[in-house]
Amino acid sequence: MWGVVQPMRISIDSGGTFTDCIYLENGVLRVLKLFSTPQDPDKAVLDAILQVAGPDVLPDVRHGTTVGTNAMLERKGARVAFVTTSGFEDTIAIGRQARTSLYDWFRSPMPCIVAAKLRFGVDERTSSTGEILRSPDRESLAALALQISRSGAESIALSLLFSFANPQNELVVAAALRHLRLPISISHQILPEFREFERASTIVINAYLAPKVSTYLDRLEATLIDKSPMGAIHVMQSSGGIISAKLAVNEPVRTVLSGPAGGVIGAYKLAQIAGFDRIISFDMGGTSTDVSLMDAAEGGPQTTREAIVSEMPVSVPMLDIHTVGAGGGSLASFDGGGILRVGPESAGSSPGPICYGRGQQPTVTDANLLLGRLDPDLFLGGAVCLDHERTRALMNAAKGDLLTVEQFASGILLLAEAAMEKAVRVISIEKGYDPRDFTLLSFGGAGPLHACAMAKSLHIPRVLVPRMPGALSALGILMADTARDFSKTVMWRGSDQQKIRSGFAELEAFGSAALQDQGLGVQASRSADLRYTGQGYELNVPDGDHLVDEFHAMHRRRFGYSSPTHDVEIVTLRVRFVGLSPAVVLPVCEIVPGDGAGAILKRRPMYFSGAWQESAVYDRDRLHPGDTFAGPALVTEYSATTVLPPGCVAEVDAYGNLVIEVQAE
Amino acid sequence: MTDPLPMEPLAKTSEPRAVSDPIELAVFKSRTHSIAEEMGAALRRTSFSPNIKERRDYSCAIFDEAGQVIAMGDHMPVHLGSMPMSVRAVIEALKLEPGDIAILNDPYAGGTHLPDITMVLGIFSDAEPDTPILYAAARAHHADVGGLYPGSMGLCREIYQEGLRIPPVLIVEAGTVNPSVLQIILHNVRTPEEREGDLLSQIGACRVGEHRLREMLERYGPKTLRRLSNDLMDYTERLMRARLGRVGNVCVEAEDFLDSDGFSEDPVRLRVAITFDGEESSVVIDFSGSSPQVASSINAVYAVTYSAVYYVMRCLLPEDAPATAGLMRPVAVKTERGSIVDAVLPAAVAGGNVETSQRIVDVLLRALAQVMPDRIPAASSGTMNNLTVGGGDQRNGRSYAYYETIAGGMGARPTADGVSGIHTHMTNSLNTPVEALEYAYPFRVRRYSYRNLSGGDGQYRGGDGIIREIEFLGPATVTLLADRRVFAPYGLAGGSPGAVGRSLLIAHGKETVLPGKCSIDVEAGSVVRIETPGGGGWGPRLERIGS
Repeated sequence: MWGVVQPMRISIDSGGTFTDCIYLENGVLRVLKLFSTPQDPDKAVLDAILQVAGPDVLPDVRHGTTVGTNAMLERKGARVAFVTTSGFEDTIAIGRQARTSLYDWFRSPMPCIVAAKLRFGVDERTSSTGEILRSPDRESLAALALQISRSGAESIALSLLFSFANPQNELVVAAALRHLRLPISISHQILPEFREFERASTIVINAYLAPKVSTYLDRLEATLIDKSPMGAIHVMQSSGGIISAKLAVNEPVRTVLSGPAGGVIGAYKLAQIAGFDRIISFDMGGTSTDVSLMDAAEGGPQTTREAIVSEMPVSVPMLDIHTVGAGGGSLASFDGGGILRVGPESAGSSPGPICYGRGQQPTVTDANLLLGRLDPDLFLGGAVCLDHERTRALMNAAKGDLLTVEQFASGILLLAEAAMEKAVRVISIEKGYDPRDFTLLSFGGAGPLHACAMAKSLHIPRVLVPRMPGALSALGILMADTARDFSKTVMWRGSDQQKIRSGFAELEAFGSAALQDQGLGVQASRSADLRYTGQGYELNVPDGDHLVDEFHAMHRRRFGYSSPTHDVEIVTLRVRFVGLSPAVVLPVCEIVPGDGAGAILKRRPMYFSGAWQESAVYDRDRLHPGDTFAGPALVTEYSATTVLPPGCVAEVDAYGNLVIEVQAE
Repeated sequence: MTDPLPMEPLAKTSEPRAVSDPIELAVFKSRTHSIAEEMGAALRRTSFSPNIKERRDYSCAIFDEAGQVIAMGDHMPVHLGSMPMSVRAVIEALKLEPGDIAILNDPYAGGTHLPDITMVLGIFSDAEPDTPILYAAARAHHADVGGLYPGSMGLCREIYQEGLRIPPVLIVEAGTVNPSVLQIILHNVRTPEEREGDLLSQIGACRVGEHRLREMLERYGPKTLRRLSNDLMDYTERLMRARLGRVGNVCVEAEDFLDSDGFSEDPVRLRVAITFDGEESSVVIDFSGSSPQVASSINAVYAVTYSAVYYVMRCLLPEDAPATAGLMRPVAVKTERGSIVDAVLPAAVAGGNVETSQRIVDVLLRALAQVMPDRIPAASSGTMNNLTVGGGDQRNGRSYAYYETIAGGMGARPTADGVSGIHTHMTNSLNTPVEALEYAYPFRVRRYSYRNLSGGDGQYRGGDGIIREIEFLGPATVTLLADRRVFAPYGLAGGSPGAVGRSLLIAHGKETVLPGKCSIDVEAGSVVRIETPGGGGWGPRLERIGS
């Protein structure tokens, strides 16, 4: 009976406040918004499934989870035993010897998540070429197992030096610890790549998250299967690809930034459908802002292997998302030298901005309200009334020697935008991309308030505010492809084609075997990390007929020069298996040229470049494809407000997105 | 005499306000800082040597037309005060034209020690095309600049033995690399390919700065740019004066010692008297009474001493205070010419930048602890434990030069234990990963761990040092430049000192203690073990809670 039923595709993104659910019912895209249940995170997810999927529906659920993220940020994971080559037990704590604040004697790093007495050494050694110099002996392994079982460890992280060059010793140690019946994360299986601290950190995080994430996902899957035996749960990885819940249970480190990855993929897919191939996503929330750059010509969203989460490096592929501490709640004040500062301190949800009624110190949100960029009556659909009087009074008191409170508020916005502008520069200009070639795709509660101003100062010609900016992450998870990454550090010099071919073939065979039970592996794409011998930084080059030539060319594109006579090292081989998800068709409406006048709710003054200007306030839900109108204007909807400064022209496209042409400064 | 006034928070109402629009100025501060950071990112990404990419031993900064620093990336503290001297040396020696880039490393003409090579580029305004209106500079520590020892960090008696000395000259003329200058440099170093890559990437970093600064110049125009630059420096000056003014009229003194110059056994004295002037909100820092310069490589040129003072002053301000020239306006730094803190030709100086600079910080903190006891940590490890190794790699027949610094314990703070195994004060380089090291060089690392209980005891404990043990798989020349082997990092407020450092050679089953500063030839299979000092403790042990 199940065999004839088409599975129903459901995507659920757990957030701090809302759990967003997007699903396809008879080919139609639908949205459901529930309050999250942070104490019991699977409750809201199950509720969503139950509400959406009827009894004769076979649910295919995709999930963006914050269980791993929260465990990392709150540092509430398992008690991990770290096992490594003896003499190197402290690697995980020493890190790279550097301090984060150059000029602050009082700053301390967060404590190492593996306490000293939970770090264990094994007398063994493998060389850089994979030669086993010393094998662990039986007695010491037995002693190690005993020590670990007495240590109260709940999970084991095993990462020996050069295990990626030859996993033999790691396998022997793992076998000797198996009878402890603890989850064990093994470095050559999860991240067979060089740089011992970054690898160990990744493996330790995996072990740290394993018990919590597996309990959560196992329970979720069991409940689902209880209801519908053929149902399945898949999970969004930080890399932007989907994996089965089973795999996520084994390698939870791959899901640390599951939710934000959904937003980036959603932004990219939606932009592509709307006809924009090069975008910078700009997601501004209450305390921080995430930005990411995507170029279809380079395969879309880019991954990094240098991410840091909760002060620890995570070296499995993660979408390259850059975060800065500037958001709607960022606090503004004058410092001792008389300069205005905004953030990184935030008013958070308590006390919150002044306009919410309890905060005392001006925030970016207050500045927006004061300058007319938020409508006090229309915030969150009118559910929250913003206190304009209170905001004006307190901001006036805090404006220092500035002449007007408007000047103060404009300054706050300018500085918040400068911080976010810096973040965009880091991911674009610093990496050799010209912002003028991109579209700024803005989402998150506060993003569309600032998008046009940011675009202006970065010379970005266009802003896209998607339809349903609040549910973009869930949409991204629904649209994402399944993906699984395999890699191996080889450190070869030169360009022996045969060696490269057979290296890739071996890695691909290993991957295919691992994926057999995943029903995946439709497409494999090969790439390699290369560098000039002696360099400390690698470039990831897609495999082609001339890997090394392509590296020289890419080096020149990125860094302005290449050295064709210099030796090249092939550092790491990578294979990514991708299973394409069936396309999601977004509803299209006919374009009827119009001026949007029917969507105007009211007119109110907004403050731009030193003067109040009468501006129209549009109701996003009543705008139609083809409507075109110019700033100054405000477009309001339930979870976001878009500011259209003078000189900007917005058009609603066939998908209901706002496409805004921005006049350069 | 003490002044236990708390540093934070600054009283907001009583402070003078910025002359220029505080918003415009804040945006300018953010923009200039972001340009310096962008230059650094370009340098890091394109450099060849692990020393720059992995260890991040470089700095980038922006200067006004007089060579005063306006913005500096969050890079190497030891470069803080000395970068402007490089720019000034270029201004004095050359007339830069558009597209020119000057290069220098001469410690006696704007440099610090020979491995630090600085490049300086001028940015011209179309309205005033004669002289640059801004400068961008990029400095990087190169792993070898020739001289007696691979890595150019060994003990020498005169600067002529330490490597190639480059006075301010043009390496790029009107946008084109001058091959003669480049070839002279490459012919005098042990690893020319790597040097060429790093030099090209420094040129690239300067050009990134040029591009961004020209954009900024177009945005503001020369007049506004000058006003903002000056206002930003004034702003930092106000921050500094506000801090100094609260100390009152006080004079404090302190001394500390370097173990020896490496050739003789005599300790080298560092002495400082700090006089605060409450009315002027200024301070005079006088190093008179410090030892005369020595016939070895631990001499500091004035630029290095100035940098160390700059660093300490910078730490008294909030973390995001911009590092501009204004910060040092209320600070006078006095030295005696020809002393260990103001060496003159032909003194050798390789270690002044890395070792003596740390001791200058130590002696300054020891004095400052008397006037602001709740703000000053006990002594940190006080040495960068510089290890340089050179030799031939039998795996590929090439010669190599490898340089690393090994962290130690941080001194305990008046509120917390010191951090273990971390770089402090004048350096903040990253370690080279063991697995990267063994791929690149014929070494095998045998141990890399904390040195337990090396931190000084106290109410708050000093951080522990590190133990690093390296086996050499072929014959090699090993050079060690380290200190705090005799004089331990001091504790404060009754805390115990940290453990002194120790270095051992293990060969043929025998352990030999090595001097802190030495250069030795080792055979294949020899092991060098370095134990770095712990940080000093803070407060009497009795006060420690729960121990």
